[in-house]
Amino acid sequence: MPYHEFEVSKTIPERKMHAVDKTPGATIADALPLGYLPTIPGTLSERGCAYCGAKHVIGTPMKDVIHLSHGPVGCTYDTWQTKRYISDDGNFQLKYTFASDMKEKHVVFGAEKLLKQNILEAFKAFPNIKRMSIYQTCASALIGDDIEAVAQEVMEEMPDVDIFVCNSPGFRGPSQSGGHHTICIAWFKDKVGTMEPEITSDYVINYVGEYNIQGDQEVMQDFFKRMGIQVLSTFTGNGSYDDLRGMHRAHLNVLECARSSEYLCNELRVKYGIPRLDIDGFGFEPLSGSLRKVGLFFGIEDRAEKIIQEETARWKPELEWYKVRLMHKKVCLWPGGSKLWHWANAIHEEMGVDVVSVYTKFGHQGDMEKGIARAQEGALAIDDPNELESLEAMYKLKPDCIFTGKRPGEFAKKVRVPYLNAHAYHNGPWKGYEGWVRFARDIYNAIFSPIHELALVDISKDEIDTSHGFVTRRMLSDKDLPDEIKNDPTLRQYTGTFDVMPALRSKTKADYPFMQDAPSVAACAA
Amino acid sequence: MEEALKHERVEVLIDHIMKKCLWEFHSRSWDRERQNREILGWAKKSLLGEADEAPVDRLDRCHWVDGVVLARAWKKRCRWLSELDAVDISELVDAVHERLDYLTITGSLNKELTDHQY
Repeated sequence: MPYHEFEVSKTIPERKMHAVDKTPGATIADALPLGYLPTIPGTLSERGCAYCGAKHVIGTPMKDVIHLSHGPVGCTYDTWQTKRYISDDGNFQLKYTFASDMKEKHVVFGAEKLLKQNILEAFKAFPNIKRMSIYQTCASALIGDDIEAVAQEVMEEMPDVDIFVCNSPGFRGPSQSGGHHTICIAWFKDKVGTMEPEITSDYVINYVGEYNIQGDQEVMQDFFKRMGIQVLSTFTGNGSYDDLRGMHRAHLNVLECARSSEYLCNELRVKYGIPRLDIDGFGFEPLSGSLRKVGLFFGIEDRAEKIIQEETARWKPELEWYKVRLMHKKVCLWPGGSKLWHWANAIHEEMGVDVVSVYTKFGHQGDMEKGIARAQEGALAIDDPNELESLEAMYKLKPDCIFTGKRPGEFAKKVRVPYLNAHAYHNGPWKGYEGWVRFARDIYNAIFSPIHELALVDISKDEIDTSHGFVTRRMLSDKDLPDEIKNDPTLRQYTGTFDVMPALRSKTKADYPFMQDAPSVAACAA
Repeated sequence: MEEALKHERVEVLIDHIMKKCLWEFHSRSWDRERQNREILGWAKKSLLGEADEAPVDRLDRCHWVDGVVLARAWKKRCRWLSELDAVDISELVDAVHERLDYLTITGSLNKELTDHQY
């Protein structure tokens, strides 16, 4: 499994150790890209900073909190209505963003007074919100503002509020991943165990490393509740600040994105003896296996089995419709961190696409081990690529679609490769059985877009084919399919709704009969 | 079991772990050693019919869950497992353990495995 040298990076020899071709028969013990290292000067990385990782990725999905950046207003640019970690209570965390707006004079004279004024103003402006997270930035870290002291002063003056301080300035680590680590440890040390939660079931979990992108958390929570499991807290998508203070009372930590929050699970295991169970919420087989594992842990596997059978019967024929049309389409799986291993095998086995490349912007070598192990032979694995390397890979591999973030996604479009937003999704949620079909539909729509077909024509030199008129996706996708597949009555396109969340949120207690049946909890209460 | 056949079967069982499981890739060597030892230990017991009872301790139970699920998946994928006797099963899982330890710990190129700062 040789290391891969990009033509465009020959002048940056260190880059050679950051890419590997998965050759036949080779293993991860033969070659592994370096990872989680400072970006090499001269290479234009696509990474975010440690502040971004702490605040924009992990902190802000908490829903009932004023999230305030102590720094220049520009540090908040990526928050205001640009993220898709929704919540079930009106999306306060997306609608409002807060910054103390530090300027040069504050760098010279200090910004603690400014911070206190901002905190008080924010609580006054939103009197129903009693919780706040304050995020240090490069500017406030460099001048040494004591944010904890200011927060403490405010909490003494306003006993009904609680404030969490996260000291993760942009330079604290090589990428956003440093910020994930910092905020996990800070939350564990400062907040876990400071609130006693109400236990309403015999089966209690923390759902960790789940950010409710377009509703993923709510989809998974629905499965858990149908099994009679209390999701005590979610770290952090759709999660409540006070629920997360009570994480220490869970029986099990169900970990989804190990890259961002395994640190928290490991600490909870050591201090409170709560085990960590890694799961996959994406894909029919991985999700079914995950629900079975959680069910087996609590001795309620039959409840998981019922859900698996119902959901599979409902959605599998639709997944198969897309699979036969996506068979052997080439895709590049270029997300930030965990999705490279969550998806690498599942999209190949269950949607039929061939993953020709995996990359990670901020993943560690452990993520590459998982991603390469799950990818197919021939895949090109890249750590922290620069823009030119990504372009070279696209020219060489000629993918039909790439799954990546909005920045590389935009230059992919310029070289006429369609992209799907791997971080925020196109038409999510993508978790759950229905979600997985929605993902397949998004891939189908991207690859077989008639508009994209037109983009492939260079009107300055190509001959324009005027022999036929308008084409549809179906005409493109079914062109070479045998009749028995085209007319297979057991397969069908997605039949769900445009927005799945209203139905999910309108469920009542009656929809969760097992949640009302917790004898030992009732006995304890009595 | 002949060596060549054993080797071939070990690779099939390893392939399943690598493609479908996550527990073998915890962050540090000591963590991976424990995961591999405990979960493959339970998988072996499960294949031998000795893992019907869930452990009371929550940490043990978590390893038990991963081990039992792994054994079930192996049995579903590899019909030949049901034809092996206890000695062969034991030897085979031991060989898988050795191979997995090599791929994820002793032969791993992951420089974080020995980082003392967790």
